[in-house]
Amino acid sequence: MILNQFFDALNLGVLILDRDLKVYKWNRWMEIHSGISAAKIHNTPIFEVFPGLNTPKFNRSCKSVFKFGNLCFFSQKLHHYLFPFKSTAYSGHEFEFMQQSCAMGPLRNDNNEVEYLYIYIQDVTEVAVYEQKLVELNMKDGLTGVYNRRFLEKKLKEEVERHRRYTGDFSVVLFDIDHFKRVNDDYGHQCGDFILKSVSSRIDSIIRNVDYLARYGGEEFCCLLPQTPLKFAAKVAERFRVVIMDQEHNYDNKIINVRISLGVSALQSDITTADEMIKRADEALYRAKDGGRNRVETI
Amino acid sequence: MTMQKEQILTSEEIEILQELMNIAFGQSAADLAEVIDTQVVLSVPFIKLMQVADLPEYFKNHVKDYKNINLVEQKFWGRFKGDALLVFSSGAGKELITLLKHDEEVSLESDPVDILERETLMEVGNILIGACVGKIAELLQDVVTYTPPMVAVEKGYQEAISGGRYDPECTAIVLKTDFCFEEGDVTGFLFLVTSNDSGTWLREALKLFIEQYE
Repeated sequence: MILNQFFDALNLGVLILDRDLKVYKWNRWMEIHSGISAAKIHNTPIFEVFPGLNTPKFNRSCKSVFKFGNLCFFSQKLHHYLFPFKSTAYSGHEFEFMQQSCAMGPLRNDNNEVEYLYIYIQDVTEVAVYEQKLVELNMKDGLTGVYNRRFLEKKLKEEVERHRRYTGDFSVVLFDIDHFKRVNDDYGHQCGDFILKSVSSRIDSIIRNVDYLARYGGEEFCCLLPQTPLKFAAKVAERFRVVIMDQEHNYDNKIINVRISLGVSALQSDITTADEMIKRADEALYRAKDGGRNRVETI
Repeated sequence: MTMQKEQILTSEEIEILQELMNIAFGQSAADLAEVIDTQVVLSVPFIKLMQVADLPEYFKNHVKDYKNINLVEQKFWGRFKGDALLVFSSGAGKELITLLKHDEEVSLESDPVDILERETLMEVGNILIGACVGKIAELLQDVVTYTPPMVAVEKGYQEAISGGRYDPECTAIVLKTDFCFEEGDVTGFLFLVTSNDSGTWLREALKLFIEQYE
């Protein structure tokens, strides 16, 4: 009686299954979030009500609890949830279902045989939302919202590694806003920031899902183009150039135009590392600057 | 040191323990095959009594050929009580992901391979430790419960196994077995370290165990 009250008072989902995986106990938290009463689900095979649970991992875990008396865990990071319940956390996040951290363990009878298994479910949606925000903050540039340099360097190394292993084309475009100092001097730094955001978001809107646009530093950006040969990367760069040239930035009722210069490089027999790729793209970018700006140069 | 060894287990008791572990591991392998769908080959276990202070060096000698190690550690609580350390070879996590077909179950987003690796090591470690420790305890008429496993993924030996985790004054009964999976390139060691707290009970339990055969 007292234990039952405690069981129902917990801010955790708790259920107990017998060896046939039929529901033996279902606490109030489970009733509230599933909308199924304890009386109704009692003695029902759990897979009948939650067929999504019937996975190799879940079955393996049940077996290991009954066989070895083990504890098993279902982390939110990997599984997201065991039971598809609607999230009660504040809105504005992208999780369709409540994010759950779950564990499973044995319950023994007087003869020390594992007769039941328990599962407890912790709602970790809010933590998962914060974590997701932190992860995002860690990869994104605070001003422009495109990826930051740290992420770029990590991704670039990964992509070089991947393309070397599986072979395939991989290119990068490095670009820089021409005479950006003049924008800052003529219109102020706030306007400069506005231009950085505006240019990066325009480019970001025309690249593929598999490409990565990152702020490389100051007014310099870098775009990774997986599975793209140099020839096509040069075309992409040219498209960037034209799109930005045609873009009008309306700041404080003033129409401002900027141009970009671009350098393109790709993995090839004499360029085999991430550092080399960036170095060669940077050299090409310098040539574009020297050659009169608002132009594309390739290696 | 010799004196202390004798205080914990006699050579005859060690022999019984060795025999008991042979039986336990034979049964564990069958249970494991049922749970994780693959054969795990467990070697004949080796038992050694040693000073806790000598443990780090002992572990090191066994894992020195591994570039990196993956370590799963779990405490077990019962009258048979101690610490289970499961050391996997480098790259084991990724092999096990394929072996358990985890990669088909879980959709891989941007960066979860290391999380998947961690969880897979934890799961397999948990199952292996549960099978071996649980079986020994069962044969000795004991029931053990476990603390949640702790995992160190792809660490250097020094990082993963620190010297200060046990009381250096204690004597440890170290049970070591090496295992390999029939499929996939996964090998490793299981060390069970039980302190002399379990000694008195263990002696009694071993006596009872051997009596059934006499």
